[in-house]
Amino acid sequence: MHDAGPGRMARRKLKTDRSVAFADQEPSAFASMLGGLIDANIENSPAKRKDFDELEARVGIWVTDIDEGVTLEFQRGALVVHNGLKPKRDITIRAEAETVMNLSNLKIGLFGMPVYYDATGRGVALKLLRGKLRIDGMLGNIATVNTVTRIFSVQ
Amino acid sequence: MAVKAFSSEWARQFKDEVNASSVYKSAAKGWKWTVGLVVEAEPDKNFPESRGIVMDLFDGTARDITVGTAADAQKCDFVITAPYTRWKQVATKELDATKGILQGKLKMKGDLPTIVRYTKASQEMTECTTRVPVEWPDES
Repeated sequence: MHDAGPGRMARRKLKTDRSVAFADQEPSAFASMLGGLIDANIENSPAKRKDFDELEARVGIWVTDIDEGVTLEFQRGALVVHNGLKPKRDITIRAEAETVMNLSNLKIGLFGMPVYYDATGRGVALKLLRGKLRIDGMLGNIATVNTVTRIFSVQ
Repeated sequence: MAVKAFSSEWARQFKDEVNASSVYKSAAKGWKWTVGLVVEAEPDKNFPESRGIVMDLFDGTARDITVGTAADAQKCDFVITAPYTRWKQVATKELDATKGILQGKLKMKGDLPTIVRYTKASQEMTECTTRVPVEWPDES
């Protein structure tokens, strides 16, 4: 855990038939969009659904140029989307809005690895090298980063 | 010469800009859905009635862009809604449309994975709006 907080994040019992739920009564536009995107992706792709069903992780995403973020709490087949960054995240992605959108456009190649050699992939890799895209906690959680990328990807 | 914001003449020039853009042509390859822009009324800005811009976009070209009622635009496959002032900010590059959507300043309805897949096309479309010289009703 790269961000040790005061304790475990409260796990609310959310009554919902859907795989994606929102922790806040008024989810932010960004939270709604990411939650909606993941919901649509896992509905449309058995491979993404499988990844979703196996993933247990807390992922923060902070959009640096709008100062907004979310925490995605993946719970093996369920996701709770929180407004803002919550403690105890496994990884935290920090990037500008355009880069966050580009992350969703990464193609997935052999062995479920994101493709970094096409135009979109090169752009993302360059941002990573230049520090315009930061993934805190990446070193110990490469598999989680790849799984989350696959679930995000609309390609 | 500047045209009245969100008028039929504006729509014609906007369509010409979209069709002149090689970036859009390439980024929107495969796009086959209609897009509606709802410009909500702001009477205090001299924009008294909501308008709807209906864009018939197909495979990298704009087949037609027309101005009608908000209800016309709401029938489209994808609908983006914002008050007049927000659209003015987008068209004058004060507000980036992607950021605006993520912040909820522009409300979007439609299949999210599809719109995300065409982020570059939508960004270029926004660029096209900024190339149309506009006479804003709250500035005249």
